[in-house]
Amino acid sequence: MSADLSRLLNAIGLLGIGTVLALAFVDQLWFRDLPCPLCILQRAGFFAAGFGIALNLIYGPKPSHYGVAIIGAVAGGAISMRQILLHIVPGTGSYGNPVFELHLYTWAFIAFVCIVIGCAILMLDDRQFSRVEPMSARLKPLPLSALLLFLALAIANVFATIALCGAGFCPDSPTGYMLLDSTPI
Amino acid sequence: MMSLPFVLFACGLGAAWLRQCGVAMGFWAVGLVVMLVLFRVHVTEVLNIQL
Repeated sequence: MSADLSRLLNAIGLLGIGTVLALAFVDQLWFRDLPCPLCILQRAGFFAAGFGIALNLIYGPKPSHYGVAIIGAVAGGAISMRQILLHIVPGTGSYGNPVFELHLYTWAFIAFVCIVIGCAILMLDDRQFSRVEPMSARLKPLPLSALLLFLALAIANVFATIALCGAGFCPDSPTGYMLLDSTPI
Repeated sequence: MMSLPFVLFACGLGAAWLRQCGVAMGFWAVGLVVMLVLFRVHVTEVLNIQL
């Protein structure tokens, strides 16, 4: 696999992560399903994992970048597993609306596992790491779009989290946007 | 406070885009640690499972 093909696959992967984060926003804004603190931290886990993939797009593929993605995905997966275990016993309730019969934290765990497996598969081919000439700093449209989407979502999450939780910690089951509700009219 | 990991990851992405690899990795590492600390803070309930 050439470095260029690896970059293309990484761009598709980052677009996939961006799509997951965008769908989380759709769920929050359209269906008014406010995220809990663990849900917000799982979003952060997607950014931690996608960061390594973004590094692959900017600097070219390196094992250390895949390592960043895997560490981020494991951390995010641990958070989603914790939330799954909170509700795993029948009768202990759940959080949020199910999508295709699974809750978002279960989908998040599946996505984190897919990131780890995807990175492991991509790392199997050493030829992508043996490029002699440096990668071009000029990105093609697809990697550039994936990076811009990822950066825009990170910034959007900053404002959305501040609106939801203010400057402090989020309540366990938020019922509204703390910043907006406390703003004097 | 909860937005801090997103701020740090966004700053890291910006640094990576500006070809400051070391700075970008630093932002990512701090963001990861902050994320895990916030996770620890929010893990307050004992799991209702018997093994």
